[in-house]
Amino acid sequence: MESMIFDMAERLLRDHVSHALREDAAAGNCPEALWARIEEAGLHLAMAPEEAGGFGVPAAEALGLVRIAGAHGVPLPLAETLIANALLAQAGLALPGGRLTIAEGEALRLDRRGAGVHASGTLTMVPFARWADRIVTLASLDGASQVLSLPVKGLTLTPAQDLAGMPRDDAAVDLDLGAAEIAPLDMPAGTMRALGALVRSLAMAGALETILDLSVQYANDRVQFGRPIGKFQAIQQYLATMAGETAASRVAAEMAAASHGTPSFALAVAAAKSRTGEAAQTVGALAHQIHGAIGYTQEYALHHFTKRVWSWRDEFGTERDWTRDLGRAALSSPQATFWHFITDSTARGATA
Amino acid sequence: MTVTAFPPPPPGSDHDGLRQEVRAFLAEELAGFPPEKRAESWNGFSRDFSRKLAQRGWVGMTFPKEYGGHERSALERYVVSEELLAAGAPVISHWIADRQSGPLILAKGTEEQKRRIVPRIAAGELCFCIGMSEPDSGSDLAATRTVATEVEGGFRVNGTKVWTTYAHVADYMILFCRTGKSDDRHGGMSQFLVDLKGTGNISISPIIDLLGEHHFNQVTFDNTFLPTEALLGQKGEGWSQVMSELAFERSGPERFLSSFALIEELIRLLREGATEAQEAEIGRLSAHLMVLRQMSRSVAGMLNEGKNPSLQAAIVKDLGALFEQDVPRLARSLLSRPAVPGGRDSYAAVLAYTELAVPSFSLRGGTREILRGIIARGLGLR
Ligand SMILES: Cc1cc2nc3c(=O)[nH]c(=O)nc-3n(C[C@H](O)[C@H](O)[C@H](O)COP(=O)(O)OP(=O)(O)OC[C@H]3O[C@@H](n4cnc5c(N)ncnc54)[C@H](O)[C@@H]3O)c2cc1C
Repeated sequence: MESMIFDMAERLLRDHVSHALREDAAAGNCPEALWARIEEAGLHLAMAPEEAGGFGVPAAEALGLVRIAGAHGVPLPLAETLIANALLAQAGLALPGGRLTIAEGEALRLDRRGAGVHASGTLTMVPFARWADRIVTLASLDGASQVLSLPVKGLTLTPAQDLAGMPRDDAAVDLDLGAAEIAPLDMPAGTMRALGALVRSLAMAGALETILDLSVQYANDRVQFGRPIGKFQAIQQYLATMAGETAASRVAAEMAAASHGTPSFALAVAAAKSRTGEAAQTVGALAHQIHGAIGYTQEYALHHFTKRVWSWRDEFGTERDWTRDLGRAALSSPQATFWHFITDSTARGATA
Repeated sequence: MTVTAFPPPPPGSDHDGLRQEVRAFLAEELAGFPPEKRAESWNGFSRDFSRKLAQRGWVGMTFPKEYGGHERSALERYVVSEELLAAGAPVISHWIADRQSGPLILAKGTEEQKRRIVPRIAAGELCFCIGMSEPDSGSDLAATRTVATEVEGGFRVNGTKVWTTYAHVADYMILFCRTGKSDDRHGGMSQFLVDLKGTGNISISPIIDLLGEHHFNQVTFDNTFLPTEALLGQKGEGWSQVMSELAFERSGPERFLSSFALIEELIRLLREGATEAQEAEIGRLSAHLMVLRQMSRSVAGMLNEGKNPSLQAAIVKDLGALFEQDVPRLARSLLSRPAVPGGRDSYAAVLAYTELAVPSFSLRGGTREILRGIIARGLGLR
């Protein structure tokens, strides 16, 4: 099952996500036809349980799709829809279909109004908001955490975008929630941020692999001084450094995915998001160095990937946010030594 | 991308029970062992400690029972290894034999060699050293000049090995040398199992390192006679044998935990109160460590399945050395406390030792530049 959905996703994205499509999306056009194919294949439902109409692929595996989508620079909220559907299903809400996105909901205020609930506040830099049907988030009502499913039609959007030209809109919320739009779901504070950071880590791991592949290929093809530049040791050292960072990113992201639903999740995500974000810096810079001027153009593919990883590292907590959280946990940990903290935070669930 | 593929370690590889047993053993054995000794990490030598560890069944863990081993998995061995390193236990007496010489003898040795040597390794009794480097052959191992010439009943060896860690106390050396001519640069090489205590015409002289300590040696073979039984594996196959040892040599937790004593000292002080910037640096260090551990465990999983993940091992060692070498810089950026050899307090002593130890981390076991060359080739650069 799992490898079937992977193979299918890999084929679908390879065949249908082109440089031209990424260019067109960056110019502001939602790739509707691509989304139709993704929906037809059911990729966006992989993580939701079968009872809810999903595929019930275990989270760690379903999340592998996010890495593949990152590797192809898919200009759509696929990762967001996966997570949103999984949360809605978990809270027992019907899956609404269509494109969904996620946001950190701490800024929202929920008030009881009559028999219903009113939501107000502003969600900032919501991924793909203007292309999405609903925004799924967590907020708290009387101290209990709730899943919300906000119809984008009922919100006021202020458009903005990330470095790669992807929609990152602010959404002003002021609406009464219908019965199918709110349900309690017991989740620790910071869950939305952690889930967002998890998918961005996986997407970065995938995109970094593409950046490395493009760079190896370019180093083999580009000839200067009578030989491929990949023959020069300086270039080889760069590529080896990129390979190490890329491998570490994937390990970090997969470790976090494997710990989904376990007590080590928050710390594993902190490690993953900060490690992949750091790699995005190193790998991106070296890739551009290897590519010379061609890599600095709109026409060549590289920029779609470097811009994406440089945006993703800022979302759902920067490296600085996550390293501070992780360091604070290490320094305040009740374990006798740092070593005990490290083994405990990677143990149980961090293996597949 | 095969080079960057690190499959997750197999399920259940935490081995919590075993970990707790090892911790309890170390708490008792190393009670009162000072931080500045722990800072020596896997360079610390104690035959006594190695023997006690072996009595618990924690040396030669992966070896077959037939040869004194315990047939446990590479992941169980991994747990013991990292607990030893994290505690700064003095392990070098058995480390090299347990890590690479034992597995090499098991893979390539004769039945007689296996029966004679391997059970004693598993008993923690034998210390091995590695005889690869020479004055004119460092990174370029194929430039080896030491030569073993076939004579009646064995070989005569002539040549000089250098940087041979602990040759002055070791029982055996795995000697890498030339046994014939070959058009192939990597041909005509062999490995020998040299009994350092029972062989004449070998002189071992100290080379003092920059810490003022005697770990290194120069080992000279002067018409040294080695019996035929000393040949390890196939004559002429030395190169490929050495290459298959490398995944064992390069991927373990000793490739990123060598500075761990300093990390514990640093964190002990920061637990008294840290700024947000200090927290963030410790968080970054933690993230790197968690990921390196997972990568190293992944390689252990691959070794357990009989694979040869030498490229992944090169990646672990390259990233690991960057990590462990950076610790003194990080400590100095977080705390304004000078390094004092021998110590005013344990932090100062550990910082001083570690600062002077780190330059070797990207040299021993293959330099950074050589590892990156291996990785680059693995990427498919034409
Ligand atoms: C603490 C320690 C313990 C050791 N223990 C042992 C031991 O027990 N047994 C043993 O056999 N050896 C041992 N060694 C030796 C070690 O294996 C060598 O130091 C290592 O292989 C490098 O060789 P070299 O020192 O001769 O440096 P060189 O090979 O001369 O290298 C010098 C510099 O040139 C660079 N360089 C060389 N070739 C290239 C190339 N092709 N491309 C780019 N750069 C290059 C190197 O990376 C390095 O930066 C030990 C070394 C240390 C530091």
